[in-house]
Amino acid sequence: MTELRRDLIMGQWVIVHTQDSWAPERYERESRHRERLSTCQFCPGKEFFTPPEIDAIRPEGSAANAPGWRVRVVPNKFPALRIEGNLDERQEGVYTFFNGIGAHEVLIETPVHDKNLAEFTDEEIAHVISKYQSRFTDLRKDKRFKYIVLFRNYGESAGATVGHPHSQIIALPMVPKYVLQELQGAQKYYEEKGRCVYCDILAQEYSDQERIITENEHFIVFCPFAPRYPFECWIFPKKHNADFSAIDDKERYALGRILKDVLSRMKACLNDPPYNYYCHVSPINSKGEDHEPPWCHGGKLDVSHCFHWHIEIIPKLTRTTGFERGTGFYMVRTDPRMAAGYLRAVSSPNSS
Amino acid sequence: MRIIPSRQYSPESIAVLERRHHGLYDRITGMGIHEIVIETPDHIANMADLDVRQIQHVIRAYAHRFRDLEKNSSLANILVYKNHGPTISHRHIQHTCSHILATPVRPRRVKEKLQEAQKYFEAKKRCLYCDVILQEREDGKRLVLETQHFIAVTPFAARFLFEVWILPKDHHCDFAEGIQDREDDLAGILKGILQKLKEGLDDPAYNLIVQTAPYRRKGDDYKWETLEKDYHWHIEIIPRLTQVAGFEKGTGFYICGIPPEDTAEYLREEETP
Repeated sequence: MTELRRDLIMGQWVIVHTQDSWAPERYERESRHRERLSTCQFCPGKEFFTPPEIDAIRPEGSAANAPGWRVRVVPNKFPALRIEGNLDERQEGVYTFFNGIGAHEVLIETPVHDKNLAEFTDEEIAHVISKYQSRFTDLRKDKRFKYIVLFRNYGESAGATVGHPHSQIIALPMVPKYVLQELQGAQKYYEEKGRCVYCDILAQEYSDQERIITENEHFIVFCPFAPRYPFECWIFPKKHNADFSAIDDKERYALGRILKDVLSRMKACLNDPPYNYYCHVSPINSKGEDHEPPWCHGGKLDVSHCFHWHIEIIPKLTRTTGFERGTGFYMVRTDPRMAAGYLRAVSSPNSS
Repeated sequence: MRIIPSRQYSPESIAVLERRHHGLYDRITGMGIHEIVIETPDHIANMADLDVRQIQHVIRAYAHRFRDLEKNSSLANILVYKNHGPTISHRHIQHTCSHILATPVRPRRVKEKLQEAQKYFEAKKRCLYCDVILQEREDGKRLVLETQHFIAVTPFAARFLFEVWILPKDHHCDFAEGIQDREDDLAGILKGILQKLKEGLDDPAYNLIVQTAPYRRKGDDYKWETLEKDYHWHIEIIPRLTQVAGFEKGTGFYICGIPPEDTAEYLREEETP
């Protein structure tokens, strides 16, 4: 039995198999990235291979670009966007184009080459979160940037080109389409109902219970009602908060713990799958300058009252996204209720 | 050539279309109709290896299913697509086939394409795609093949490496009507492009999607008045050469490692028998 489900915020429909739902074993595993240690450029002692570091955590006060770090942030050696210059809008017939302005940074999460993020200590993962936050706060100062994407690719088939644990940060001169649609969806809901759609979703998830995987004092993680991918999980702050940079020490710690919790559940349940996660945050510098075209700040959106920053985690279990790429239509072989059940059933290092 | 209902779905999946809600959430039981077009009796894996006449039959079959499924008033959209190469649902089938999926809702990207074309038409009173075709034929930089009635180009803002679009030179919003008396020409250019991809890129996995006007139903939420003037059917072919990573999944923003002008040049120079 299948059904069509509508994503409340994006308005997009997905096809969900509610009967004959696929169990974790039905998915074929793809090989993960195995890179020889000797050639890794992110390992300690190889600091000179990366561009000079932007930021690092060095508890013993070691010199920059030398060993002794716990977390290190460097510019991407092969950046998708460059930091210098201006957009310089140009026209070629019907087409519009711009210079590829932006920042592209790599956050090396640990000096240990083969450590799995799911097995970081609470303190180690809190370090990673605190660097996400400090890079976010720093990049926001550049008024040319309108959006910051924090994301992590794990495993070759999820697009990781380096095996050493790392995340990436991209600052963009525009609000990307998918995020903009999400923000506009949230705004529309607010205009109609006068409430934050994410607060309403959390309330419904609490009352349904069936899609919740786990929670702690500040965060909750659940499988969304209309997922795009099987075993997709969303981590949400329980308190209404649109601004990722405003999280405090306690929340940082709680976020690290719940992230680790859900990743270790996925690892156990889905046999250490490749995955992607990314953080959806509010746009930055969204007031916009007069000379800026509306597409870049998304029409001066103010979403503080109707948005929650959150993290979406997508294990890579299916081999193609080709159909989805072309149509924006998604078919999901595992009912999110079942997926949450499988993930709940795994005992995690954090559960007591 | 044969068309069969997909065995992936139980009959009740496709028969019942009932709108329901669950608290905040909307759902429709069932999903619509899913059919498989078996493109040839011969065990051939890639459409590129069919002869032009056979591809012509396949194209006619698409058009026929378009018109036939339109009679079912609960269906709002029809998608014709192909997955060549390994996929999750057909990992063992290596016999060239196409899929027809008719649903009571419209997929997100179909809607977005319609909306963009309508916006352009409202502003300029011209068809966006006609303007694109004009410019691409003049420029020639992104042109891969041209026949009497069609052009094949790599799009200016390609999302994927070696993405190719086939566009009809004559303006028509609807695939089934637009291809009348043009089936042989379309079959020819389609085979040409698929062969170039196969030879030039070592038989990559690819997806093919026919983008056409959805079924126009009275009382649904879309403004249809200008559709016939503002929309222009076309085919998108997307080789699967790279992995989609967290950035793309999270933002809908794509990083294309090679400019479309270069991929077009490469495909232009790829000689096929």
